[in-house]
Amino acid sequence: MRRSGITSFILWVCLTILTLLPVWWMLVVSMRPRVKLYSKSVLIDDLYWDNFLAVLNSSTFLQYLWNSMVVATSNAALVCALGLLAAFGLSRFKISGGDNVFFWLITNRMAPPAVFLLPLFLLFTKWFVFGDFMLFDTKIGLILLYCVFNLPFAIWLLKGMLDGIPLELDEAARVDGATTGQVLSHVILPLARPGLAVTFILTWIFAWNEYLFAATLTSSAGARTVTTALAEYVSVTGTNWGEMAAMAFLTTLPALVVLGFVQKHIVTGLTFGALKG
Amino acid sequence: MMAGIQPNKADRDGFLPIRTNGFDRGFISVVILILVHLLWMRFLEGLLPLWVATVLCLALAVFIIRKG
Amino acid sequence: MRQSNIGWLFLAPATLILFVVGFLPFIYILYVGFFDWNTNAVDPTLRWAGLQNYRSLVFDTTFLNSLARTLVFAFFVVISELLLGYILARALMADRLWGRQFFRTIHTLPIVVAPIAVGATWRLLCVPGFGIVPYYLKLWFGIDYNISTNAYHAFGTAIIMDLWHWTPFVTLSLMAGLTALPKEPLEQAQIDGGNKLQIFWYVIVPMLKPVLLTTVFIRLMDALRSVDEIWMLTKGGPAEATRFIGLHIWINVFPKTDYGYGAAMSLLTLYVTIVLSWLLFVAMTGRKGGAQ
Repeated sequence: MRRSGITSFILWVCLTILTLLPVWWMLVVSMRPRVKLYSKSVLIDDLYWDNFLAVLNSSTFLQYLWNSMVVATSNAALVCALGLLAAFGLSRFKISGGDNVFFWLITNRMAPPAVFLLPLFLLFTKWFVFGDFMLFDTKIGLILLYCVFNLPFAIWLLKGMLDGIPLELDEAARVDGATTGQVLSHVILPLARPGLAVTFILTWIFAWNEYLFAATLTSSAGARTVTTALAEYVSVTGTNWGEMAAMAFLTTLPALVVLGFVQKHIVTGLTFGALKG
Repeated sequence: MMAGIQPNKADRDGFLPIRTNGFDRGFISVVILILVHLLWMRFLEGLLPLWVATVLCLALAVFIIRKG
Repeated sequence: MRQSNIGWLFLAPATLILFVVGFLPFIYILYVGFFDWNTNAVDPTLRWAGLQNYRSLVFDTTFLNSLARTLVFAFFVVISELLLGYILARALMADRLWGRQFFRTIHTLPIVVAPIAVGATWRLLCVPGFGIVPYYLKLWFGIDYNISTNAYHAFGTAIIMDLWHWTPFVTLSLMAGLTALPKEPLEQAQIDGGNKLQIFWYVIVPMLKPVLLTTVFIRLMDALRSVDEIWMLTKGGPAEATRFIGLHIWINVFPKTDYGYGAAMSLLTLYVTIVLSWLLFVAMTGRKGGAQ
């Protein structure tokens, strides 16, 4: 099989170049001053940081960056907590109709977001209004909303992991007089910690990447996220490619950072455990 | 996801090409009802009023739920 | 396994949240879809319209074309990704492959990049006059490639962008499936003298069927709802060449504030999605019945 090894190797080298080319081009453009912008060379000719500095010096963008951080982190934390509870319930208790509830929970992720934009917009602006406070255009609104796609994901991922923890450990703890809450906090939680970390990172990335809901359900700098900043930027200035590329690169950065860590789990997560990566 | 949804006792073979349970048959009936109404509005409403479609579909639904 | 009531207690918070942000909206558009409701109209309140919204919807050619276009897009994308993904998965599983882990990691990159950034990146690559793709296609092959005037180029670019974005996922999931396959049937088929094509079609495909269907299911659902990337790449243009259904709803409903009609539009899209996914789901669980 030596030949097949070499063919595969060449194929994969080409593929890697193709995969990296768009990201590389983005980096190249982000490091070009305005005068050199229309050069067609695909190499970085010198380290020019002004595009990044311009983006990072814009207070609006920093505000958006902060919003994204808050929304993604709170959502991931919320989803992990609720997901762990739900997964514990599903994995350790016999629940009448549990299968159906579980199935319904999972289908939430498959729903097309564009379909739910309108009702959510109406609910957020007209129903969930408490005095002066309305859920529309708030970070809390986004944090709750992102549960639609992140919570089913987390429940599935965590249920798979909890199912892998032997039931005997629970029983042993119960024999020693532990309550259900203590089983969860002293037996399950320590063992599920790696799984929780993976879930946290993946849901964080999904929340960070989300655009459509954020664009529709927020309107002011107080709640808009990085992805909307990027989209706004394109519609406002069509030709300032350097800064746009810098902004796109900053949006992509978290994904690049966690890539090596999550790649083993991403297939399991995205196929709802039907396949083990 | 796949392993969780196995055919169980409530499933049965009817004239439909798949093994169904009560929920499936209800679901199929609703899907057909909506489809027929949409097509009816597009192509047939000039000739026959819409309630004809409703009656036909409800009859079909009863048939599917009983015998499907 | 313990008694059920406490179990429900653990499930309750998650169920409650998903009920509010997942189920309530569905019920709400179901309701709004039967009304004439436009906040910018003379009478900005809900007025009962019966099936009128749906009646106009089945004659709305822009909407129907957009729906059809989305299905064509999804079809092309899913088929090409399966083929490509299978070839790549086999290549990645070759016995001697130096740097397998490295390739795998790089290959995973597009999956985690924000769709909006994917769109921005491809716009940088493909936009006429600036990107390198039009420039080098012209220089090397003499092709006039222009995504902002040529509908076919725009549609093709949308497909290629989706291939870049999601083929890795198909590769990885098919690889997971292939690795899990039992070895005996394959060896048996080789002993029996089957050629490569026969082995592929009669041994590998049937055994891989659950994995293939799962992958198709997930990819199809994603392809039907792609909005962000397309919005960044072409804004749905030129004309309506890449205006897929999600984008159509998005850019139509909100500026016009015709909520009743928008609700009907959303619901019909949901209907198509549900029917498609149910059909695939039935195929997936393999509930062959009828003829005993």
